[in-house]
Amino acid sequence: MLTVKDLQVSVDDQPILNGLNLEVGEGEVHAIMGPNGSGKSSFAHVLAGREGYTVTGGEVRFDDQDLLDLPVEERARKGLFLALQYPVELPGVSNLVFLRESLNAIRAARGEPALDAAAFMKVVRDKAGQVNMSPELLKRSVNAGFSGGEKKRNEILQLALLEPRLAILDETDSGLDIDALRVVADGVNALRSPQRAFILVTHYQRLLDYIEPDYVHVLSGGRIVRSGDKSLALELERRGYGWIAGEAAA
Amino acid sequence: MNAMLEPVERYRRLIDAVAPSLPGGAAGWLMSQRARATEHFVRQGFPTRKDEAWRYTSLERVLDQAWAPNADPALQPAADIAAFHLAKDAVARLVFINGRCLPGLSSLSGLPAGLQVGSLHSALKQRPERLAPWLGQAAQASVSSFTALNTALIDDGAWVHVAAGTKLAGPVELLYLSTGPETTVAHPRNLVVLEDGAEATVVEHYASLDATACFTNSLTEVLLGAGAQLEHARLQDESAAARHISNVFVRQGQSSHYRAVGVSLGGLWSRSEYHNRMQQTQARCEIDGLYIAGDAQLTDVHLDIGHAVPACTSRERFKGILLGRGRAVFDGRIRVEVDAQKTDAQLANDNLMLSRQAEVDTKPQLEIFADDVKCSHGTTVGQLEPAQLFYLRSRGIGADDARRMLCLGFATDVLQACSVDGFRARVESRLQQRLAAGAVIGNSGE
Repeated sequence: MLTVKDLQVSVDDQPILNGLNLEVGEGEVHAIMGPNGSGKSSFAHVLAGREGYTVTGGEVRFDDQDLLDLPVEERARKGLFLALQYPVELPGVSNLVFLRESLNAIRAARGEPALDAAAFMKVVRDKAGQVNMSPELLKRSVNAGFSGGEKKRNEILQLALLEPRLAILDETDSGLDIDALRVVADGVNALRSPQRAFILVTHYQRLLDYIEPDYVHVLSGGRIVRSGDKSLALELERRGYGWIAGEAAA
Repeated sequence: MNAMLEPVERYRRLIDAVAPSLPGGAAGWLMSQRARATEHFVRQGFPTRKDEAWRYTSLERVLDQAWAPNADPALQPAADIAAFHLAKDAVARLVFINGRCLPGLSSLSGLPAGLQVGSLHSALKQRPERLAPWLGQAAQASVSSFTALNTALIDDGAWVHVAAGTKLAGPVELLYLSTGPETTVAHPRNLVVLEDGAEATVVEHYASLDATACFTNSLTEVLLGAGAQLEHARLQDESAAARHISNVFVRQGQSSHYRAVGVSLGGLWSRSEYHNRMQQTQARCEIDGLYIAGDAQLTDVHLDIGHAVPACTSRERFKGILLGRGRAVFDGRIRVEVDAQKTDAQLANDNLMLSRQAEVDTKPQLEIFADDVKCSHGTTVGQLEPAQLFYLRSRGIGADDARRMLCLGFATDVLQACSVDGFRARVESRLQQRLAAGAVIGNSGE
């Protein structure tokens, strides 16, 4: 589904990714771990199309299309979703309006008719219940004044609503207490399917206690320096990142 | 200065020509108001950019035409004007064309007890003494040549009186339509009086029936008795060729509450002034405003909020959206006089620049002569946040739609200050239309 070949990216002429390779197939859950500054979040944002990153080499194919050629909204419409580490506040933009516009844009791209107000309300209430989100938050401005946990829940609500084919979660576990983490993990687990893939970007192994990955990759110096199964995450938890960075440099 | 003399002379002749036909000719108090205003206008002339209040605003586009009144009482709009109605639950509606009230298009039947609404022209013709306690009491004709001109030409407009203790169930809607021929001018004069404890909502809506260049010089006087509460929503939605100046004068009694929402969308050149005097303690004044200026447009807002006595509160918040080569001016002044201890006043102006060619001059001013007060002001000039745009687009929403959503979001808190659903809906849809002119916002600098 997603093929990343020798991806090289820089920001303000500073190389951030230096030849990253990754293959993600349908139904797979990949965890990308690594120390701070290793390029994990940059990788997630480059996939989603955030400005400010210059791709200097390599390619990314998503279902046999050149992903890097597509504008941000087109990537979303083709089924790519990025849950942000710091979800953006949109003062004055109603969460309901945001969710409806978004869902209808994605539905239009899938060739499905737009949901009318009543049908949408039914769907969104149902999904909000699934992620344990207070209906009150639907009426407020998007993320404005939400707590850290509420913002992350709102991301998972969007994930549940938009039903992407590839979901990238950028440090979704950061800043969450154990209850909120469980809600996020339950939300993700409920959405796991043979057609849907996940990339979990995380610094800590903790999230992987709740969402079991098929593959674990370690990113260091802008490249994947080691891949393995979930036991690699446990080893990282025990030994830290130092030994891998050291091995990679050697 | 010499260049300005010619229009002054033109208006002086106009005043002389229409004076005999103005209503209330037998009322000495009214005649002397008109005469003083005329004298002031002729002596003062039009302001230039050397006048502080006009520093950023050139009058060229107002003085470049030989405006003439054309308020034919027989004038009827060709099209159905129901599309201009904003308040579905209005308890009364007055419709004006080129400044003249048209009773046939107005709805004044079944007025609730305690409410009097009608044409100022008729009221001055029939019983001018009825208006003597109020007309000209809040407005200072000397504020500018436009207020002087309006006063010298007091003729028609809305007359709204709400008796003590009366609480209206729905808004009083005032609709001012302008139409050709080219260079038509109107000077609507409105008088809104709420006696002690009265509660009302008044909607003023200025719109054009066609694209001809018309000039509106409106003046609204608001007098609030003790404990009176007025919501005053004002929408200037005239054609792209229109010139528009409005002056709102408010005089507030003890514990009265004045709540205004002023929106300026149309016009080639427009200026909106609010002059508020809190003359009795515990009064509260809130003014929220929204303006849009696109290509060729100049939109100007002036606030003059006066705290003369202790313990009054004022909140002014104006937001501007600038597109293309639009220009805006915001000049907001709060004056806290020496006796006005315990004043609580806040002034804010935020501008959203959607193009690099747009320009705004913003000048908030606090003049404080009392020492125990809580006052603040703040101004921002910013652009759409790239992070916000990215967020919306990353959810499948197209770039233009994302910009529109963020602009509407920017305006939301101002609009929510208005309780009239139809007013908010109209402004929102007009905003959408303006922003949908994709080319205007397409070059937002990405």
